[in-house]
Amino acid sequence: MTNTMKDKLITSLLVIGMIVFYSIPARSQDLDALLDKETKPQTTYAAATFKSTRIVNGHSVQQMKKKQLEFRVSHRFGDLNTGSYNFWGLDQGTIHLGLGYGITDWLEVGIGRSTYEKTADAFAKVSILRQSSGEKNMPVHISYLASTEVIGLNTNPAMQQNFTSRMSFIQQILIARKFNESLSLQLTPTFIHRNLVPTELDKNDLFACGIGGRYKLSKRISLNIEYYYVYRANASSLPVTYYNPLSIGIDIETGGHVFQIMVTNAQAMREGGFIGKTAASWSDAGIHLGFNISRVFTFNK
Amino acid sequence: MNKLLLCVALGLFLNTAGAQNRFFTKDAKINFNSSTSLEDIVAESNQATTFIDIDKNEVAFSVLTTSFKFRRALMEEHFNENYIESSKFPKAKFSGKIVTTIDWKSEKLVIAEVKGQLTIHGVTKDVTFMAQITPGKGKIIANAEIKVTPEDFAIDIPSVVRDKIAKEVTIKIDAVYTPYQP
Repeated sequence: MTNTMKDKLITSLLVIGMIVFYSIPARSQDLDALLDKETKPQTTYAAATFKSTRIVNGHSVQQMKKKQLEFRVSHRFGDLNTGSYNFWGLDQGTIHLGLGYGITDWLEVGIGRSTYEKTADAFAKVSILRQSSGEKNMPVHISYLASTEVIGLNTNPAMQQNFTSRMSFIQQILIARKFNESLSLQLTPTFIHRNLVPTELDKNDLFACGIGGRYKLSKRISLNIEYYYVYRANASSLPVTYYNPLSIGIDIETGGHVFQIMVTNAQAMREGGFIGKTAASWSDAGIHLGFNISRVFTFNK
Repeated sequence: MNKLLLCVALGLFLNTAGAQNRFFTKDAKINFNSSTSLEDIVAESNQATTFIDIDKNEVAFSVLTTSFKFRRALMEEHFNENYIESSKFPKAKFSGKIVTTIDWKSEKLVIAEVKGQLTIHGVTKDVTFMAQITPGKGKIIANAEIKVTPEDFAIDIPSVVRDKIAKEVTIKIDAVYTPYQP
């Protein structure tokens, strides 16, 4: 074998070697593997932590997205323990009508009116942090709620003299986590300031903390429970015994509507009322059957 | 030695040439329409990743179902929560072969038949559809339409809203591919 032949042989072997070496890794990697490689980790935000903007009575971290309007009708029957004369509470009813509108995806504002003490209310809900996983990790959703209530009832002379004495102010931090598809829980530290309280013994400032959650029974039905612990240092000396509101409800979602059916010892449907003035208790059947109906309208083009 | 260098150079050349047979894009558009006279249901994602291998005539798609945007926020929520179940099945995928022979140097529009497997909601189905493919210098333009039914992919629709959602859903794909550099 001459040198040139040897050279040629080596060269051709090298060429073949190169072709094999360079083409094998590229060929063995199929398109599916390439797709996985090129699909970068993304941040997924927890959506639908709750089905509705209220767990039962109190706000949830759910809010109207930009240009979405919610019309909400809430109704609570009277006390169950009023007996057959009052048809176990069904003869009586308290109503709240509310509107909520998403100015941006993180800011919702709303107004409402209730037959309970003829109260008008307005609120703003701001989403501060969103629960997410993936590239950005955030274990909880945090929102801030500020609400003002104005009592319209004309039975208190002090309120007739001075408009501001009709007002109360509610601040809440909503901290929620969607643990999985079925379970979501929310903690709701609450501060309420009432400009005027019924007696000198009542405190103008009220601290409370809500705990609430939902468990999905099916894709479109969930069980909701909500409890507010209200701190009252001088509870025993107050002329009226107040109770902590406990509400148990079922959410039924049908496309644009959410129906919430519940039993609760609170008759009012806004924070100042159900946190501050719930005077009926579960232990003596002071409970109310009630429902909320929520309908969402879209104004997006 | 010169020959050895030549070999290395040739090898490198072959390697880059090898990469040139794959085209891809990360921002292909996929939209679907399941409107009825009762409800407009249209959603679009522009974050689909897709590859074409012009040597093997293979094509593959992948899209995160949460990237679909709807006009109504609530509809988007229900799409992810109740229908597609994005937390369980985060991706929709397609992988298949272009059956029609295409001259990738021709720069002429070809109506090509594509056959493969479409995976939505964790269910894989064989599908065949027609695609318009235009090879070009350093790019490939492709668009296609696929018709599917929610039932094919075990997407459960409650009877109360059945009339609001079209029986057949049209999926449209628009992609502009550029050469893939790994």
